[in-house]
Amino acid sequence: MKVSFFETVRYVPPTALPSEWPVASGAYDREAGARAYDAMIERLRYVEQLGFDWVSVSEHHYSPRILSPSPMLAAAFIAARLTRLTIALLGPIVAHSNPVRVAEELAMLDTLARGRLVVGLLRGTANEALTYDLNPQESRERTDEGMELILKAWTEPTPFAWQGRHFQYRQVSIWPRPWQQPHPPTYALGTSREACEFAARHRLGCGVSYGPFEVMAKATRHYREACARHGWEPTPEQIIYRANMIVADTDEDAHAILRAQPNQAPFAMRAGVRDAVATLDARNIAGEKRPTIQAGALPTTFIGSPDTVVEQVRRAREVIGAGVLDLSLHPPGARDLEPLTRALDLFATKVLPRIRDL
Amino acid sequence: MSEGWLGTGGGRLRYVETGDGPALVHLAATGELTPAHTLLGRRFRVIVLDTPERGLAPSAVLGGLATLGVERFSLLGSAMTVNTALDVALAAPERVLGLVLESPRSIGAGADLAALGMATCLLCGTLDAEAAPAARRCAALIPNAHLVFVYAAGRTIAHDRPEAFAEVVGDFLERHEAFVISRATTVIHP
Repeated sequence: MKVSFFETVRYVPPTALPSEWPVASGAYDREAGARAYDAMIERLRYVEQLGFDWVSVSEHHYSPRILSPSPMLAAAFIAARLTRLTIALLGPIVAHSNPVRVAEELAMLDTLARGRLVVGLLRGTANEALTYDLNPQESRERTDEGMELILKAWTEPTPFAWQGRHFQYRQVSIWPRPWQQPHPPTYALGTSREACEFAARHRLGCGVSYGPFEVMAKATRHYREACARHGWEPTPEQIIYRANMIVADTDEDAHAILRAQPNQAPFAMRAGVRDAVATLDARNIAGEKRPTIQAGALPTTFIGSPDTVVEQVRRAREVIGAGVLDLSLHPPGARDLEPLTRALDLFATKVLPRIRDL
Repeated sequence: MSEGWLGTGGGRLRYVETGDGPALVHLAATGELTPAHTLLGRRFRVIVLDTPERGLAPSAVLGGLATLGVERFSLLGSAMTVNTALDVALAAPERVLGLVLESPRSIGAGADLAALGMATCLLCGTLDAEAAPAARRCAALIPNAHLVFVYAAGRTIAHDRPEAFAEVVGDFLERHEAFVISRATTVIHP
């Protein structure tokens, strides 16, 4: 089992902030912002020392919750300062990006980091369609086409034009090409039938997040069946499970920590916007409809003492088939970071050595 | 739209045509008008020649077109007719203004691709695994070649994505290599 630390760039605001998305940017404090990026590097040096395999970064906008609107810049900053951790860029939001630019930046990053890069490509959370004025009804199709264009830009040796549905380019011929050939290990992220089938067709990995094991297993089963139809079998490392984990000395302590966390939906939009987006942006798990927008906090599927958590990880490995855990050990947006350090220590000493060989 | 038969010296050749403008000759496996032809007919006089599987002699195509009064023309070959299109372009380079090869397959060993002087567009569907290797080979040898991937199309690109096909073919044949310069406006509210 490989373990990845989900780095959310901890912005610690001097005063509490409103939770509605988009969060008013007038409330931003530049000193707190600068500290967040410095502290990220310090934290990741520690994470690296503790024996994590990957650090993951993600793309979110208009919010202090995860302060990496450009995960490429976060990754480049990390690549320049750390030498061992593999950087998992999970992932650029393909739906609202220029896919050729994404391909170029990832190839450059892969070269700067000498191959310490894995890539996840995704559609983005429902609010992100609003970031750059994207019609939510087109986000799925744009993601599929954009992912295909990124793969083509990485691998096609001849300058080419792309005559797409949503993207058109008359000349593409990227420099640099990726350091890893034909391209960095790449995952199509998401539980949807479309993401699973795209991954299977292009021999990519698959990444699922936050849901209970049995629900995530529906998606990874669908993915593995689709891979079989395309004549190949994914390795465990080609399945990532991103999840919240609360590990404490005892089960009771862990549950007490969870109870104390606010039941706050991430990137909560004003009700009228949220409801309108939900009618336009359809989501599914292996073809079964799921709610577009998370109602409360994201579920915490690993919780308890080290013994309990080790057992849960064993089950996740069995049920979901995941060979990589991408862990959030403390809620993004929390203002007190001391519990994160404690959770990191406990995880690294009491859990990590026992899940390595799963 | 009209249809008829061309005398080729040795035999007859069925054709259909639609639209007005500079001539665009399509060597088609079935001489039927498709939605892509209709779209291209807004910019070109599209002449679709029924091309048998064994191909056609360049002289038959060139002679037949002359009887229609078509001296200079753009030429489109699709999959199995790509080799005939190449033969025609090599036999009468002064008459072929621009060349489009849709879903190329095995390129005839005799075709001297390096001698093709006209702008040539190589179209591959992203769902067509066979076309890209042949198209890459052409792109490496033809001096003024352009490789175009049409997303979500298989071998029958014009059928699968008629609007996308007609737009890029039309733009290429009107502007040749300058088709790489965008003319799309990004002004939203003047």
